[in-house]
Amino acid sequence: MRSFAVLLHKEVMALFSSPIAYVVVTVFLLIMGYSFTLTLFISHTPSLVPLFFQMFVLFLLTVPIITMRLVAEERKLRTIEMLLTAPVSEAQIVLAKFAASFGLLVLMLLLSAAYPIVLALYGDPDWGPIYSGYLGLVLLGGALVGCGLLASTLVSNQIIAALLSLSLFLLLWIIDDFGYLLPDPLDTLVVNLSLSGHFKPFATGSLYLSDAAFYVSATLLTLFLSARALAQR
Amino acid sequence: MNPPIVVAQNLVKRYGPRLAVRGVSFTIDAGEVVGLLGPNGSGKSSIFRILTGYLTPTLGSVSVAGHDAVTRSLALRREVGYVPEDAPLYDHMRVAELLRFMARIKGLSGAAARRAVESAAARLGLARVMTMPIAKLSRGFRQRVAIAQALLNEPKLLVLDEPTSGLDPSQVNAFRDLIRSLAGRQTVLIASHVLPEIAQVASRVMILLDGTLLTTDALRHGGDRRRLRLEVDGSEAELRACLAAVAGVRAVSARAGAGDPPGGYIVEADERPFLARDIAAALAERRLALSELTPLPPDLEHIFLELTRRRGEAAA
Repeated sequence: MRSFAVLLHKEVMALFSSPIAYVVVTVFLLIMGYSFTLTLFISHTPSLVPLFFQMFVLFLLTVPIITMRLVAEERKLRTIEMLLTAPVSEAQIVLAKFAASFGLLVLMLLLSAAYPIVLALYGDPDWGPIYSGYLGLVLLGGALVGCGLLASTLVSNQIIAALLSLSLFLLLWIIDDFGYLLPDPLDTLVVNLSLSGHFKPFATGSLYLSDAAFYVSATLLTLFLSARALAQR
Repeated sequence: MNPPIVVAQNLVKRYGPRLAVRGVSFTIDAGEVVGLLGPNGSGKSSIFRILTGYLTPTLGSVSVAGHDAVTRSLALRREVGYVPEDAPLYDHMRVAELLRFMARIKGLSGAAARRAVESAAARLGLARVMTMPIAKLSRGFRQRVAIAQALLNEPKLLVLDEPTSGLDPSQVNAFRDLIRSLAGRQTVLIASHVLPEIAQVASRVMILLDGTLLTTDALRHGGDRRRLRLEVDGSEAELRACLAAVAGVRAVSARAGAGDPPGGYIVEADERPFLARDIAAALAERRLALSELTPLPPDLEHIFLELTRRRGEAAA
């Protein structure tokens, strides 16, 4: 546990030693602030549903930027040799990298809590969809960071890692659109892989265990595969 | 008798179709400073990465301080300090920060970690760069930081991969002094493709070529040959003619290095009793004045070339 804490501290410092984290957080807050204001003035309803879908898209676009360097950079600079010859396990390394990046997403969500606070100050929002929307974003964030981390573990070029995870996210975003064209039972299987399909209920205030299980399973599977990929040397 | 610190048996490492290490076996005793010599691409780094738990061998086994590299990798890594080639370090960290981080992931905490960092920094002369970002360090200081982090937890085995590449002569000298200071109390394995560097610090030299270990003790391998330095008042032709009659003498060559005095020669001969006495007698018989006759240590370069030549002949 102590090694994990040391590794996590190192990952957080690495994340904030580059401008990427600051740029991502700033861009996220600027876009969301603009959207929140615009939506509020147009709809005059104290709801964050449109905002959650925008955050969903922003997560798909920004997570590859956050995760691309996690392992790929260490491979390129060969600092991974320092880590993997120290008495720490691959699982600890993967979990620390995951926790640091996931923590950044959670920080972004915490900063966006200003929007429901504003709604609460000036209106009477329905808190159910707000709680479920944030829960959905947290679960989605975990799955996306896991996928991005796996992509970064598989290649030693950051740009390729980012493109790999971005392609995967975009594919899983729109997969239900053409999944229905496939014959049964392939269509059900493919449609169930849709990131947006599992997010919609969260954003609109409906909680289903299957949707939560999808994101949690994806997170655990990608973390397991990342640790295995790191151990394959 | 203490068991060896390192035991490698029939190590094989394959990268796809390429065989990088071919059935390498060796042992290293506690306190030894062993050099692993071989040209670039001969498999030195692969062996080192297996020894440090970074790579798993395709076949064979290796243990350090009794811990198997595959089944007890974490325990093995606690016993090994590793300095990879080119000293890869976290450029965004400051020196003290990196050393503290490495001390903590090596299992040291609190006062023990602080003492280890201070001690390693003092041994490597890092005091004045402790607050500097690693990205701004010179090549020599980067190398020193890499060695300092390897020494933090007083590992039983210190593995140094091409530790002097890129260092200037004074830094190389400082490095040699450091290794000499470790000899006897720490087991050190150094890889290099620079022969003189290995010859000056190692008590035993292993030679690796194309993934095959040609010898586990090149210095002893040179024991069937002797090299003597002569100072003779005579020409090279006279000396050759004189020593041709001495049994076992293989070659005579003039020392023509900068600063070498005239009349200096190197004699190579088979090892046998009374060789020096017979050479002196032959010179006296020809009335060639002998002012110096000194035995020289085995010439590692010669041994290396001889072994690689023999291997080439065997392969042909």
